[in-house]
Parts: sequence; structure tokens; C-alpha cells
Amino acid sequence: MKISWHKINIKQLAAIISSHLKKNGIETVLVSGACVSVYSDNQYMSYDIDLITGSSIKKIIPVLEELGFKNTGGRLFENPQCKFLIDFPAPPVSIGNEPVSKFNNLETRFGIICLLTPTDCVKDRLAAYFFWDDRQALDHAVMVAKRNRIYLQKIGKWAEKQGEIEKYEFFRKKVSIG
Amino acid sequence: MLEPVLGNGTIEKILFSLEAYGQAYPKGLSRTFNISVNGIQQQLARLENGGVVVSAMVGRTRLYKFNPRYSFLKELRVLIKKAMEFLPEKEIQEYYSKRTRPRKKGKPL
Repeated sequence: MKISWHKINIKQLAAIISSHLKKNGIETVLVSGACVSVYSDNQYMSYDIDLITGSSIKKIIPVLEELGFKNTGGRLFENPQCKFLIDFPAPPVSIGNEPVSKFNNLETRFGIICLLTPTDCVKDRLAAYFFWDDRQALDHAVMVAKRNRIYLQKIGKWAEKQGEIEKYEFFRKKVSIG
Repeated sequence: MLEPVLGNGTIEKILFSLEAYGQAYPKGLSRTFNISVNGIQQQLARLENGGVVVSAMVGRTRLYKFNPRYSFLKELRVLIKKAMEFLPEKEIQEYYSKRTRPRKKGKPL
């Protein structure tokens, strides 16, 4: 399959990269803003593909080079023809200090993407809102919550544990409006 | 103190500074500890790549803080706090007790 790197969208790219890495024995989980893009049908457009893996960067370098993505230092990879940046944040997959072990496998015609569930994606964005007062992250959480089946009660309990019930209530109200 | 665990003394100084002040920037750390900016930046990059710290530009300075989303932050900070209790008083005064309250522009330091 010939890939037009400059035309590709984030979901297609995430599927291609995840599948190619998996074929080479590297399991990944898509996290952060790219999950918001996937779950919001690009209402929010992230330009970063954040993949968490237990494999070493050394092992990833030759595999991604096959797709034209070069390591630009640290844990980042770029392809000059592609507008998206690939990052491998340090493991484990966690939201705050809670490990995440259940993921969603999304089938696309470009391959399977293993990513956070919509509920965990909302928690991940809310964590950024709680920690840094990031309003954009709050908007992302609302976007995902409105378009996907999520477990609000679970999120509420988690927010309570984080001591952020007030901010959670603000989020919940935004979700219930329109 | 934690050097055998952390791998080098620069990382230890950075983590102690973050614990003491909440934030740090490469030039300031370099001046305080008389370590090259490059040496400090390398270790900060290591910590950032590992998710231990996060950074953001404030004006023309890149400011580093603990990453509140780091999975083991609570435990790491307990360890740092404990280690800092063992620092000699002189070292605490010299490196980790600087003035952090505001100071009006124009007033002598």
C-alpha cells in the first residue's frame, strides 16, 4: 500500500504506526491528545501521536525508519513529509498514580489501534485540567464525553479520590448542557 | 545521598531544588551549583523524557516542575524529602533556602 504521508489523518497514521510496530513485536497504547482526535472525529486535531510501549527506543528506531520516521533525539520521531510527530512517553500507562490495564482495540482499514477507553481518555484530559487548570483539556474531556459512551460514575469517584470534586462537577454540568 | 540510586549527583541536586522551590530553570541551577548549563540541561532532558518533570516556556526561560502526572511522584517525593533531612545545615542554607517571596523591582536584593 502506497501511503501519502502529507495527506494522511491522525487516525490512519496511528493505525499504520501501531500495526507496523506490532508486526515487529512492539506493543503500544495510544494516549493523550490523539485519543481525543480519534474519539471526537477530529473535532480536536492533535498533531502528536503519543504511544506508550514497554519496548526500548533502540528497538523502535529501525522499525520506524522503515516508514521514513527518524528519531530526532529523546523519544521523538519525525517524517519530513508528515505533519504529525510521534512521541513515546515513558511507561507505564497511567492516569495520575493509577495504572491503566483495560484498553480499547479500534479496528480500521489501516490496522488496529490499541488506545485508552473513552472513559480513561476523559480521565486523562481531566487530569490535565485538575493539575494545570488547562481549559483546553477540559474542552477535550467534554468533547469525548458527549460523543462516546462513558462511565460518569467511575469518573466521579476517581475525581473525588483526586480531591477535585468541584472541578468534576463543572465538567459534568458542561457535559449535560446541550 | 541518593546518588547511587539516581545515577549521578546532578540529578539529585535538580530533584532537591524542585522539592525546595517547586520549579527550576537551567541557568539558575547552573549558577547555584556551579555546573555547566549543558550538564544541567542533559539531566533535565533525561528527567523530562522519563516523565518525572515537565517544562514550559515562561518568557524566554524554560521552567521545569515535577510532573504531577508522573505515576510514582508521591513515592519519589517522600524519598527526596527523607534524603533532604540528612543534608548538612550548611548545604540547606546555601542551596535550598533561597528567598522565594516577592521582591519589588528596584529594591536591592
